[in-house]
Amino acid sequence: MSQDVVITGMSLITSLGLSYEENWKNLVAGKSGVKNITLFDAGALATRFAAEVPNEFEELSRTYIKKRAASQMTRVTRMCVTAAKIAVEDAGINFDLADRTRCSVIIGVVNTGNSSAEKDTSPQNTVFKTMTNSMPAWISLEYQLAGPNFAVNTACASSAYAIAFGFEMIKSGQADVVIVGGADSIINFEEIQGFNALYALSVANDTPESASKPFSHDRDGFVIGEGAGVLILESKKHALARNARIHAEIAGYSLTSEGYNIMAPMKDGEGMAQTMELAIKNAGIKKEDVGYINAHGTSTELNDRYETMAIRKVFGDFANQVPVSSSKSMLGHTIGAAGAIEAIITVQSLKYGILPPTINYLQPDPDLDLDFVPNVARPKKIRFALSNSFGFGGHNATIVLKKI
Amino acid sequence: MATITEKTKEEVKEVVYSFFAEECEVDIEQINENTSIIKDLDGDSLMFLELIEIFKKKYNLDIELKVIGKYAVKHPVSTIGQLIEMQLLIIEHENRLLDIEP
Repeated sequence: MSQDVVITGMSLITSLGLSYEENWKNLVAGKSGVKNITLFDAGALATRFAAEVPNEFEELSRTYIKKRAASQMTRVTRMCVTAAKIAVEDAGINFDLADRTRCSVIIGVVNTGNSSAEKDTSPQNTVFKTMTNSMPAWISLEYQLAGPNFAVNTACASSAYAIAFGFEMIKSGQADVVIVGGADSIINFEEIQGFNALYALSVANDTPESASKPFSHDRDGFVIGEGAGVLILESKKHALARNARIHAEIAGYSLTSEGYNIMAPMKDGEGMAQTMELAIKNAGIKKEDVGYINAHGTSTELNDRYETMAIRKVFGDFANQVPVSSSKSMLGHTIGAAGAIEAIITVQSLKYGILPPTINYLQPDPDLDLDFVPNVARPKKIRFALSNSFGFGGHNATIVLKKI
Repeated sequence: MATITEKTKEEVKEVVYSFFAEECEVDIEQINENTSIIKDLDGDSLMFLELIEIFKKKYNLDIELKVIGKYAVKHPVSTIGQLIEMQLLIIEHENRLLDIEP
């Protein structure tokens, strides 16, 4: 029997705060988390800014992860495990009362963060810091969960894929609870150098706070962010049986592959459009039910152009009535964590009836003619919202979220 | 083959107790010979390897890990007391550890 899937716990660790409440407050205020890089000496790089998680994270992490285990984790893995433990607290789940064989963990992991910026790596912990399954493994170990636990890598769509797989496991009756999400940081010399070589990053070093400007005429590339987002997915039946507070429902999703190019999206956003179409169909709703789209919105020339074209193609004239905003304008692009972080932000939009803005939108691109919720948050009661994630390699995901 | 003196025993005990207290974030007074490394301290098997490295340096030991591995399979360690005993045997017999088996 098909199960409804609800979100009973959430956690966010980003440049704008260490809780989803703090993040929400800053996002609605239109604050930027982007600053000059402090994690390493970026002086020789073309891009010298990013959206770093605040230093206070270290203190928070110490309250959730024992020193011994922490020494075997990278900073990014600690972000993920800390976020997972906060999300479990938020959900109020006692796993002693659950069937642990029906509890799983799925985490989007592009890399574990064992880069040149990582501290205290030694021969004894290199393997643990590098193995890409470490994040779900540590979470599973923490709660002795016996259902499947694994990592999924689909580049910038990784944690959206994790949400989709978790949804499917519950929907099909294979699991009662799935911890899903992602954590990532590519704020290190070699990866920034690599993305600079692809001309993918903004180089607006004089104005870091306003460098991420999705859908603007003067956008010049994405801004790197870092962080973690974790959600507790649960069958509605399981959640109601324990009187859990429900944040929102997952109504459906779509995953597609473009088979087109290792870096560029399919021309005119055809793959993106197909993904949104299928997600709306999967959720069993009408296009007119969609009240908001949390866009992938990277601030790159091609993504923003094609995502706009895709939304126009899917919604036709109704596209003018669907507000679209990019959280990356404030948080930068958190790569493998972006799908989960932005899904949580979308849940907050549904809960509070407020749409976070696209900041730094000062020069509209005449070719991109949607309502991008420019610069200022907007009240709007919505029932359904889409969260888009599109990754290098043609990995596309759209998650459909429903207000409870 | 080294001779194990009372001083060596005290040194090993002190290193082991301090190591677990530090790594597992517990008061050293909470540790005794019967303390379970996994159940009581939430320790892990890697800690055993790290201790071997510490003692290899401290006593300039000639011991291969595979020798210790073979010995440990037949003489599993679960408490702090058992761990100290094994470390003393390693210091005493080094690569001839397996020769002491009956």
